[in-house]
Amino acid sequence: MIWKDLGRLSRMIIHLRRLSTLRAVNSQRIAPRELPSSEMYHFFWIRRETKVSDSLLGAENFFFPEEMVDEETPQVTKRMTRSCFSTTHSNSSTETRKKSDPRPLSTTDDSVIGEEPTNLDTLLSCFPGRRLQIVELLHLIGPLNCPMLPLFLYGGASTGKTSILLQVFRHLKRPFVYSSCRTCYNPRILFESTLNQLLLHRRNMENSYSSAKRCERPADFVNFLREALTDFINNLKGYVRKSNLKESVEQGDGRMVYLIFDSVELIRGWDKNSGIISLLFKLHDILKMPDVGLIFISNTSPDTYYSNTGYVEPIPVHFPDYKEDDLIQIFMRNQKNQKLYSSFLETVLRPFSRITKQADELSTAFQPLFEKYCEPISDMGIAPNDDMKRMLFGHLRPHIASALNEVFKVSSVSSVKVEAIEDKARRKDSIMKLGTGDASNELDLHLSISAKYLLISAFLASRNRATLDASLFDSTGGSDSRKRRRKSSGTTMEHKENAEKEMLMKGPGTFPLERLLAVFQCLISVDESSVEEEQQAASQLESEDREMRLMSDVLLQLSTLCNANFISKGGSCPLEGSTRYRCNVSEEMAMKVARRLKFPLSKLSAAKFAELLMVYVFHTGSDSILIFHVDVFQTWGGGISRSPCASISAP
Amino acid sequence: MAPSATPDSPPATPISDNEENSLQPFFVLHKGVPQISERKASGPGKTRRKICLSPTSPTAAEKSKVDVVDEEDGHQYKQLRIEAFDLVWSRIENTIKDVLREINISVFDEIHSWLRQCFSTIRSSGTPGVSEITRSYPLFTDLTCRQIFTGLVFTRNVEFVDDLLTFQELGEHLKSCGCHVCNLSSLDFSTKNGLGGCLRSLLRRLVMVTPETADIAILASWYCEEGNCSPLVVIIDDMERCSGSVLAEFIMLLSEWVIKIPVILIMGITTTIDAPRSLLPSNALQKLCPCKFTLGSPAERMDSIVEAVLLKSCFGFTVGYKVANFLRNYFLKQDGTVTSFIRALKIACAKHFYMEPLSFMARGFLEDDSQSFWSAKCVHLPEGVLKCAFDLPSCEKNKMAEETSENLANGLSDLKNSVKNWASVVLCLYEAGKFQNMLLLDILCEALDPALCNSNALDNHVEIGNDSAKPSSLDHYPLGGQYAGLRKGSFISQAVSRVRDLPLVPLSQLLKNWRKQSKEITELQDKVKELQSMLKHEENGKSLTRAAADTLKRPSRSAWNMEKDTKTVNDKAARLMLYMVRKYLKPIECVPFHEIICFKLVDILQSTLIGDPRRRIQLDLLNSRNYLQCNCCSKSGDAILPSMHDTSILYTLAQEHGDLINLHDWFQSFKTIVLQPITKGKQKVKKSPSSKKGKYMNDSQDTSEALIQARFCRALTELRITGLFRMPSKRRPDFVQRVAFGL
Repeated sequence: MIWKDLGRLSRMIIHLRRLSTLRAVNSQRIAPRELPSSEMYHFFWIRRETKVSDSLLGAENFFFPEEMVDEETPQVTKRMTRSCFSTTHSNSSTETRKKSDPRPLSTTDDSVIGEEPTNLDTLLSCFPGRRLQIVELLHLIGPLNCPMLPLFLYGGASTGKTSILLQVFRHLKRPFVYSSCRTCYNPRILFESTLNQLLLHRRNMENSYSSAKRCERPADFVNFLREALTDFINNLKGYVRKSNLKESVEQGDGRMVYLIFDSVELIRGWDKNSGIISLLFKLHDILKMPDVGLIFISNTSPDTYYSNTGYVEPIPVHFPDYKEDDLIQIFMRNQKNQKLYSSFLETVLRPFSRITKQADELSTAFQPLFEKYCEPISDMGIAPNDDMKRMLFGHLRPHIASALNEVFKVSSVSSVKVEAIEDKARRKDSIMKLGTGDASNELDLHLSISAKYLLISAFLASRNRATLDASLFDSTGGSDSRKRRRKSSGTTMEHKENAEKEMLMKGPGTFPLERLLAVFQCLISVDESSVEEEQQAASQLESEDREMRLMSDVLLQLSTLCNANFISKGGSCPLEGSTRYRCNVSEEMAMKVARRLKFPLSKLSAAKFAELLMVYVFHTGSDSILIFHVDVFQTWGGGISRSPCASISAP
Repeated sequence: MAPSATPDSPPATPISDNEENSLQPFFVLHKGVPQISERKASGPGKTRRKICLSPTSPTAAEKSKVDVVDEEDGHQYKQLRIEAFDLVWSRIENTIKDVLREINISVFDEIHSWLRQCFSTIRSSGTPGVSEITRSYPLFTDLTCRQIFTGLVFTRNVEFVDDLLTFQELGEHLKSCGCHVCNLSSLDFSTKNGLGGCLRSLLRRLVMVTPETADIAILASWYCEEGNCSPLVVIIDDMERCSGSVLAEFIMLLSEWVIKIPVILIMGITTTIDAPRSLLPSNALQKLCPCKFTLGSPAERMDSIVEAVLLKSCFGFTVGYKVANFLRNYFLKQDGTVTSFIRALKIACAKHFYMEPLSFMARGFLEDDSQSFWSAKCVHLPEGVLKCAFDLPSCEKNKMAEETSENLANGLSDLKNSVKNWASVVLCLYEAGKFQNMLLLDILCEALDPALCNSNALDNHVEIGNDSAKPSSLDHYPLGGQYAGLRKGSFISQAVSRVRDLPLVPLSQLLKNWRKQSKEITELQDKVKELQSMLKHEENGKSLTRAAADTLKRPSRSAWNMEKDTKTVNDKAARLMLYMVRKYLKPIECVPFHEIICFKLVDILQSTLIGDPRRRIQLDLLNSRNYLQCNCCSKSGDAILPSMHDTSILYTLAQEHGDLINLHDWFQSFKTIVLQPITKGKQKVKKSPSSKKGKYMNDSQDTSEALIQARFCRALTELRITGLFRMPSKRRPDFVQRVAFGL
């Protein structure tokens, strides 16, 4: 009877609690920023006081029903789990638990992030431009031993979500369990990693790096989690009781444990994600443990989770992108020569922040630039005056434009020993450092001649329409074909233009193997004569035979090119002839290859392309469209280039 | 693409195993190679007969020789030859390995020092403790340190085979330097296995356990146990073949742990620097802090292998002009890998020792005192073998002396000397050609041309009095293109003319190199020394005059003089070059007894290397009777008989059609052929697609109809599997399409 009553009571209480917290949430949602923080603090302080003095519990029960839940549900579960514990748990896990410190996790035995818990001021100063978020977080997490609704932190990459949360916990000195869905890349690892941390299990040689519990199904996870959590909280409580009450309050350990799930957005990409996300969001309702706080961190806003299937929506906390001023503060933090760096930032930050405001991307871009910037200066402690700033800017300016376009900058080591090989490589690098990535006309890559021809034929097959083939590759060879092409271009101008527009939008086309081989054979036969001249006497083998041999393993070459990502392949079964290929090579690269072979590729395709673009631009006559098309052009040409707009706006 | 990847796929094997494995397809598809493998296993008689069968068998004269030797004491000499082959090839193989290692070692060292630098950068903010490493949440660090240091190793060859071993060795090298190394290949980064697959293999190689869940935390705790003090290097052989998404996830995952576990990536890139850009999304690229390293290009490797194996020292095996040309063309046009070059060399070597009865004498080339070795050996040679030796075509040409063992021994010593001289001249030419970026292989091919020898011989006859008497006669040598023996525009003449135009400093460098290369030939040594002293004198003079000119401000006259002087030195050097070419560049195919060490049969090599499987399959299907040699078919000529194999019948019938074949017609004609009574087998059947209709006997109709259909289907499936036909498409359900080209 008593149990039943208790159960009913607790259900009622939970309901009440939900109401009250929802109210609080609503009030926050309406005006989270406008609410003066002192008031908020006041609100929480009341709650805190009530908790400290146990005797007051009864009166404030109604307003702060959480406290009651705190008192009662754990008792229920405690008894339950103890009985469970003795029967079900294996010995090893109990032993490990006993051996380890009862007060687990992060806060005491090892430093969370630094040695000492930070105070609020240093916390705030660590994260410029994040004051609002930090204060909001502190409010939402609440004072010691205060139950909370699940939180949902979101914002773009590198806006400080994880760092701030971790630092907040360091500040609060509370135990938490952190699992990143990036590291835990499937449900099982996520479950086991969470449980391992709760059960204080450490993988090592003796247990052959196995987890504490084998846990694959969500249902198991919930059960294990409940057990582990109650146990954990009991331990915490035991510790709190043992030590002086007041001390522990000041120290700030409490008996809450927080579960943090980072990069939740990745779960959506998991194979059988269906259950996992809603499981995590529902965890609060399922566990019904007020001592457990749930915090989710995500790149994307809560709207992107098709949620709302009957669970309490987590409270969203938005981390907006940094403003330029914030970025300045961030970058100025650890600089030795503040003045120099600020003058550097003045020149650099504006163009870059138009492209990205991610602090990490910016910092990797700035590092080499700053080195460049400092090159003319001998004394690093100098405070630059206006003249000097101007001079330094002039020194830096040519590098900014190229750096804007470069996501991925490759440096090379210069060593003392100069071998012929490295020497060559370095020379190439010095060219590269001057800016344009592939300025060298040479193809620094070994391709056998037949592979080169195959690549060119793939390029042609991809860029030209199949109907053009007949006019391009006549049996009489290149000279005649040009004439033919011109003739055909004179016929139906408009029709052709439309077709070309379409082609421009679609990108390189696909082609079947047969067409590739046909084009290849044409090229070989055209070129045969020139090769002949080149090495007439060196090769005494008859040309027919040679052609045959070139054909023989052309499929092998094709697979090589596919492996090198020069040609991509659709379709599945190689025996079925329906496989279609597409050439991914940029025009630049194809030209290089052709130049090596002394093959007149430009006659067949290249000029056409640029001419096409220009024609189109003339027709449309608008700048924005130009930019768009240049973008399209670039994405075909050399993979994804990051900032086509920037490169255009620069001049 | 799977089919091509299979021959090269075992990445973990050393080169010899690798070769065996990559030979595998040729065993299956072609009949040339099995003879090599059978050679050791089976008795002499059987294999010999086999080679007679082979379409590219040696000439009749040689065959008879083989017979002679084999009949007398074939087995003994066979054994000797096998031993000689093993010895020679093991020497060559070791040399190749050393050469390749030598090429790579400087890059390896560079990578290692970079690695150390990266590691100290990672650890510059302090070494994290054990508890810090094993905890689940990231360390609070500065933003810039979150990047993973990545070495991009450019192999500069699209074909990846050559570099499997390189990355293996790089791994070993770094391991010996105290890093934790893990070699992963693109197979580990497949979309099928996903991130779990690559982490699992990473853990398996490093931690040596196969955990149930491939969790990176395991790596972290393992790293703590290992002492937490050395970098952890993950080498990915061929980055382009990896699945981009998996690799990106892997990088993102590692970047969360980068301070805790100091992982440094090394990725092999076969194409260009754009490869990572196009493969990885920008957020993963952002996590990499790349550094570029470049391996030697295949052409460079090739040159150093050729130099070491064919020129630097004579191993008792060398190749003839045609073979060299074939190898060169194969390298440049078809394959472009050093691996296949080595493989070709090995095949050539094995073939040579198998087919050349006297090749056991080649062991003498490896001895220090070859002369005495040969004298000792030759004394014991039986009559038949001696006769055999003097019957060699090269001996017949210039019948010199009696067929005695001493003569043979002397001839062999002469051969050795001649090869040595030839090699040093080629190297000298190469030194000159380097200024024009010539490939050694090109020069080698030209220097092997027997035509060179003939013209040289002619010239020697004409000027014999001059050149033997006084060395100063090299002033008489005409220069460059006018020289009769050299074709205009040939590599050798280019090299010579290049010598003429060299400025002073490279010239003295060149002379120094020449002196090094021509150690064996004292005559050249002296001349080079002479030239060097001349040059030195001039250098001094030049610096003096320059000083004088500076002070007097009258540079014109003396400088002009200097110019002229240098020109004369250049001329002299070029003349010397020509003299060397004339006197010592005697192609091996012009030297008596060269057959003992020189492999010339290009056809065998060609058919072995370029299996041309598709063409072969088609030919064999059409001429199956040549292989089966059954009674029924042998008499009937080209006619199609029901006793032929179904696939063969079907393919022969298909010849009547164009690219598209109507299935129904095809089946009907097949049926006609099959049901044709065997008794009437000899009559020719006209099998135009429409001419069938009920020639077959009615009684067997019901039973055989199903059977025939089944046979038809099976045959068609076989043809499809060989890649000759494509199945009916949805658009044209009644037609199959021929896909094979080339016949």
